[in-house]
Amino acid sequence: MNPFNLFFQFADSFAFIVLSAVGLAVIFGMMGVINLGHGEFIMIGAYGTTLVANAGAPLVAAMIVGVIVTAVFGFLVERTIVSGAAINWVAERTLGRSVIEPLYDRLLDSMVATWAIGLILTQGVRIVFGNSIPQLNTPLGSIQYGGFSYSVYRLVLSLVAVCVLVGLYAVFTHTKFGVRARATIQDPETARSLGVNTDEMYTTTFVIGSALAGLTGALYAPSLTVVPSMGTSFLVEAFVAVVVGGPSVLFGTTLSGGLLGAINALFTNLYGTFFGQIAMLLTAILVIRLLSNGLTGLVETVRDRKVGE
Amino acid sequence: MEENAHSLGEVEKKTVNTVETDQKSRNNVRQLDPSSRNRREFLAASAAAAGTVLAGCSGSTSGILGGSSDDEAVTLGILEDRSGNFALNGTPKYNASMLAVEEFNEEGGILDKEIETFTPDPQSDNSRYQELTRQAIQRENVDALWAGYSSATRETIRPIVDRNEQLYFYTTQYEGGVCDQYTFCMGATARQQLGSVFPYMVEEFGSNVYTIAADYNFGQLSADWVRVLADETDANIMDEEFIPLSVTDFGSTINNIQETDPDFVMALLVGQNHTSFWNQRTSAGLDIPMGTSTVMAQGYQHQRLDPPAMADVYGGFNYMQEIPTDRNQSFRERYYEKFPDADYINEEAVNNYFSIKMYAEAAEAVGSTDQADIIEELESGVNVSAPEGDISLQGSIHHMTHNMRVFRCDEEHNITVEAQEMIPEQFLSETVGADLTEKDETTQYVPANFYEEANTTQ
Amino acid sequence: MGPASAFDRARAPFEGPNTAGNTRGFWIGFLAVFAVLLIYPLLFGAYAASNAAQFLFSAILGLSLCFVWGYAGILSFGQVVFYGIAGYTFGLLSLNFGSALVTTLALPAAVAIATLGAFVLGYFMFYGEVRDVYVTILTLVVTLVLYTFMGQTAGSEWTIGSVALGGFNGMPAIPNLTLGVDESALRLSGATFYWFTLLSLAVIYLGLRALVNGRFGYTMVAVREDEDRTQMLGYDVRRVKLLVFVIGGALAGFAGVLYATWGNYINPDVFGITFASIPVVWVTVGGRRSLLGAIVATVAIEWFRQQLAVTGSQYAIVVVGALLLAVVLVLPEGVVPWMRARLRNRSEHPQSTDSTGVVE
Repeated sequence: MNPFNLFFQFADSFAFIVLSAVGLAVIFGMMGVINLGHGEFIMIGAYGTTLVANAGAPLVAAMIVGVIVTAVFGFLVERTIVSGAAINWVAERTLGRSVIEPLYDRLLDSMVATWAIGLILTQGVRIVFGNSIPQLNTPLGSIQYGGFSYSVYRLVLSLVAVCVLVGLYAVFTHTKFGVRARATIQDPETARSLGVNTDEMYTTTFVIGSALAGLTGALYAPSLTVVPSMGTSFLVEAFVAVVVGGPSVLFGTTLSGGLLGAINALFTNLYGTFFGQIAMLLTAILVIRLLSNGLTGLVETVRDRKVGE
Repeated sequence: MEENAHSLGEVEKKTVNTVETDQKSRNNVRQLDPSSRNRREFLAASAAAAGTVLAGCSGSTSGILGGSSDDEAVTLGILEDRSGNFALNGTPKYNASMLAVEEFNEEGGILDKEIETFTPDPQSDNSRYQELTRQAIQRENVDALWAGYSSATRETIRPIVDRNEQLYFYTTQYEGGVCDQYTFCMGATARQQLGSVFPYMVEEFGSNVYTIAADYNFGQLSADWVRVLADETDANIMDEEFIPLSVTDFGSTINNIQETDPDFVMALLVGQNHTSFWNQRTSAGLDIPMGTSTVMAQGYQHQRLDPPAMADVYGGFNYMQEIPTDRNQSFRERYYEKFPDADYINEEAVNNYFSIKMYAEAAEAVGSTDQADIIEELESGVNVSAPEGDISLQGSIHHMTHNMRVFRCDEEHNITVEAQEMIPEQFLSETVGADLTEKDETTQYVPANFYEEANTTQ
Repeated sequence: MGPASAFDRARAPFEGPNTAGNTRGFWIGFLAVFAVLLIYPLLFGAYAASNAAQFLFSAILGLSLCFVWGYAGILSFGQVVFYGIAGYTFGLLSLNFGSALVTTLALPAAVAIATLGAFVLGYFMFYGEVRDVYVTILTLVVTLVLYTFMGQTAGSEWTIGSVALGGFNGMPAIPNLTLGVDESALRLSGATFYWFTLLSLAVIYLGLRALVNGRFGYTMVAVREDEDRTQMLGYDVRRVKLLVFVIGGALAGFAGVLYATWGNYINPDVFGITFASIPVVWVTVGGRRSLLGAIVATVAIEWFRQQLAVTGSQYAIVVVGALLLAVVLVLPEGVVPWMRARLRNRSEHPQSTDSTGVVE
């Protein structure tokens, strides 16, 4: 087993898990909404990027457009469906009452609603853009080492994944928005009484989560096949990573990306891709069973014990 | 395998019994005591009426209110996916079928009757295929059925087809071995497709081979065939790797190929996720030539992916729309005239097209749409003029002798024909020795039971 | 003491605050609908009956989820695990032995294996203090493990007895449901299969009604509303949840056998993410705290989806999605509880709209 191969595969797997999960993790951790349409949000980012790049724009510009398109889409979904604000606004003026209860913290209903959004998106994109669109090439070529080579772009992705995590950490700990957002999660009532506009916090969080999903789609557009049903290939890794990570979303996603990425790379290298997948899923089952608060829960327990000594 | 065939036969017999039991229980309902004067009496009376009507219909599957379609027209059931995972492959099949039907109807239909179609969208969902197949056969009374892209779909509906003795055309290129008295397999089998490209690759590039294949039935059986063909051509399978359909990241696979350093790779990858392989191998700088039976002609990757993702890929297929013949040119023109916005015409679409034509000619020859008669006519071995060339049906095994070509995709994704050969389906006819005109069966044979080389799965 | 009071006494065990439909009118309507469903095959024939039968056994799957989710608060994506396990087990047993007796016994055996599977998974989860959304995700992951695993069982090494698991191509030629021994055995298909399914559904529905309106039902609802408090009151919450999960698994397994015999076929799609999500959709639309809602919604949604597929329209899936979205947003309690609240409002005071209590 070549150690470079193993390392590159780990980096690749880590990036895929983290980037798949991070948008979902932000929305779930901050709002208690499980976005089963998460994969389709990623698909929108990928479509935006590919279509704009095909129209002749440089790849990075196309990616930025992909992210913006997904963020705007997320904003619309939040306003009309998740919070119901737009529909209620209309309803209050026509029927004289609001018709939609917000999906915040209605975990299970939010799953069904976003699942339905996913269905509509997949088929809607198929109707509008057809079964396939011209695909992009992977840029940046490859690096050679020994008899092997690895795509530089795939390696860049793992750096981007790390940057995204660091950036989010900075946003949520060192900005005014971050402090307010965390206050809203911990105690919405108190946050409101202290003058935080919690509605706005929810909307912003959802838009950030959507933009992150869009970023994932944009980044993978040149490396994966962009088709209407591509969202499902992210969904499993995303959910597993979020749940394995536990309540502290960013830290948790990092840890589970590390653990699951390592397991996946190791078993894939030793026994092939099938065992890599199965090992990853079984690890997830074991972690959920043994650590009721996920990996971050374990870390906190260990830290508390150390402090207590 | 013998046992399997046996048990299949038994199921059929049982089913016949069940139908009789149904009839009996209906008759029993009629004998309910009509003396009590309440609502039950009304129920019993209506049940009795229903029983009588049913007995009158003798074998009809529809009740007193469930009318069935009239049999004036010729009805073809065409169940192809236009949404879901297989929409990319199913839509051209649907289009080509509609083109064939339209062309016949312009000429006056079949037997001077207009062709009608039953064309629901099964949405790439096998449960839906079961429902719709039953509906096509039992309610719409289709005269012939075209249905399904994947092997899983074919196996899902074949029990229903067999139980109802329904003439069924399966048109996808597939792993081979289906030997079924009601099913006609129009696509080239793995042995035909690989048999055309694999020996060509060995001759051109050398005898050391690395196989990567999708980890499911089709991929595993295709890998078995590669082993059989390697034995026949004295090639050496250095290693093989099976990849689950959900995998989108091929970093480790590419590393493994580089480590093994073969003369060429047989890439039997399937589905949208696996399409990502081509871009990833090119960007990783893996430039070993690759042979395949599963890409380009089905999912037109050479048109969807940006060059040079498919450079130096060689495929063995019975059809790609780039075939440079006048006949194909004319077919393409008609197709794109009817569907100006359509994507690529895949191998399967053409199989739908020529098999509808073949069915029509068989119906004209026997002078009716009686399914047993048409099967008998087809089994006598018929010729058909297809866009790929003039080809013929091997009547005794319900498969086609195809005009197989080796196609090459270059740096700019231009397709050229490198070799061409008529290849019959030999597995059933020669290795198994099946003959559906002599012995009725509904089996699928696998190479592992006939070749030692095929029986060494990992 | 006329027939009316005998009727009232007969319906008493099935009534209570945990179910809709506690009036004489409801039961008369119930019997009327049941009677119509009984003669349905005579009116529309064997094809229509067999087509309708699949809606009915889907409703059993829906009921199994409604029971564990709506009444004990366990949202399981894993009902299809037991559905699939039972289907595969039935296929393996009946195909390996082939006799009518074994095929008859394969039904209870397959349900038993599914129940055992539910017990193992339930014990693993509930005695390991896995809770809430983590149960949901864990059951989803188990489903996906089975999907990945069964998909790669195409090779000849995956043969049990003389029957191959078959990978994605699945297991064909599964015999019809059989009751009896040897030649006299009744093999169910078409109308007879429909009647068997209909009766099973009715029995299961009534059984669950009796269960949720009995002592155990109150305990379940208590667990759903507040686990910690219920624990404090001296109930073994883990055991209650395990028991509920096992019953749900058995029902899903039963439905799975019906599915496998209906199409004479089963493949790993039953473990796929789409198939796993569908029962959640049925139950959400019907109202997850309403058994009747689960049945009505399952039949209605499946019928509707099939009709849309028959049209061949590419908008079919979009319509299904939009409809679900509308129901979840506008009627969060589900269609049947909403209708119940409306009916109640009309008969009582117009302003009594509190429908969020424990006893919905």
